Amino acid sequence: MKNVTDSFVSLGHWRSAGSFGFNTDIFATNPINLSVVIGVLIFFGKGVFSDLLDNRKLRIVNTIRNSEELCGRAVEQLEKARARLRKVEMEADQFRMNGYSEIERDKLNLINSIYKTLEQLENYKNETIHFEQQRVINQVRLRVFQQALQGALGTLNSCLSNELHLRTINANIGMFGAMKEITD
Amino acid sequence: MNLLSCSINTLRGLYDISGVEVGQHFYWQIGGFQVHGQVLITSWVVIAILLSSAAIAVRNPQTIPTDGQNFFEYVLEFIRDVSKTQIGEEYRPWVPFIGTMFLFIFVSNWSGALLPWKIIQLPHGELAAPTNDINTTVALALLTSVAYFYAGLTKKGLGYFSKYIQPTPILLPINILEDFTKPLSLSFRLFGNILADELVVVVLVSLVPLVVPIPVMFLGLFTSGIQALIFATLAAAYIGESMEGHH
Repeated sequence: MKNVTDSFVSLGHWRSAGSFGFNTDIFATNPINLSVVIGVLIFFGKGVFSDLLDNRKLRIVNTIRNSEELCGRAVEQLEKARARLRKVEMEADQFRMNGYSEIERDKLNLINSIYKTLEQLENYKNETIHFEQQRVINQVRLRVFQQALQGALGTLNSCLSNELHLRTINANIGMFGAMKEITD
Repeated sequence: MNLLSCSINTLRGLYDISGVEVGQHFYWQIGGFQVHGQVLITSWVVIAILLSSAAIAVRNPQTIPTDGQNFFEYVLEFIRDVSKTQIGEEYRPWVPFIGTMFLFIFVSNWSGALLPWKIIQLPHGELAAPTNDINTTVALALLTSVAYFYAGLTKKGLGYFSKYIQPTPILLPINILEDFTKPLSLSFRLFGNILADELVVVVLVSLVPLVVPIPVMFLGLFTSGIQALIFATLAAAYIGESMEGHH
């Protein structure tokens, strides 16, 4: 009977478990169902997830490969472009050199032709000066001559008298008579 | 005598079933506050799981990710997608917040559904998912509220409050009410779903210990994941809503 009352008394404290501990009741803690659930999850989830992750990995690898390819192609193109740049630069240098020499030659030609023109001009100038001088000299000469003639005329006009005139005429007549004798 | 002890055993069984109680907590006293110790313990376990798995995953980062890193990058991409679709262009600063919400809730829910917590006995109450407790979900929901207020205020300054009278000023009370109903609905939805899941499993286990609870447990797993996704999506949606320009 005491057992029974003990049992009833213990009923009152059934739920008030005192402290930390492990519950070993296999039905209350439900490990069987949990393990089934976890097992199923792992069984199915593994396939799905590994597929998903493999796809993702593949995609990443593809992306990386693609970008590496692109990078390689870009580097190649860069190299090509650099080579072309070098070639073009060399050509440009050559052209520049050619141009320089041509310009130099043109310059020399030009200088020469200008020298020639200059010389011709110099000659013209000299000739002109010469002519001018001669003209001036002629003029001066003419003037002097005229003045001399005028002087002579003046002198003649002032000094000419009848006697002198007659003498001169006589002298001339005598001269012409002498000349006629000579010619005869 | 025999009969009596037999009837006592029956009584004991009946008492056992009637002793199933909801809302028993393992109280801790921290600085004048009563905290639910079982929630803290399971939260720490969840945090430890998250931190250690993340630490293991990023321990040796590779250009081409291997298993663990690959998985976590996938998770990150998923979270980023969620926040991008909900928040929009400026989603980047909010990815950590949304990710924390999602991962914590998700791992909490699944730990409650998958880990055999009941093996460890507490002086009071029992260990379960942290989101099984209303305090956790309210804390998460309030964090979301703070987050979307912060987002709106930093984005638009005081002009953020102009959205309260946005379609017409008549809706002002409803718009103000919304700020209270948002965290309320967030927290209650999560709490109710998780508590219901676990209760259904517990009740079914106490009635039929084997096989029958298994479909319900799967349903619980599904619901838990969905709830975590919903919480994260809604948090992101609220943040995006408070950041989007009305003008």
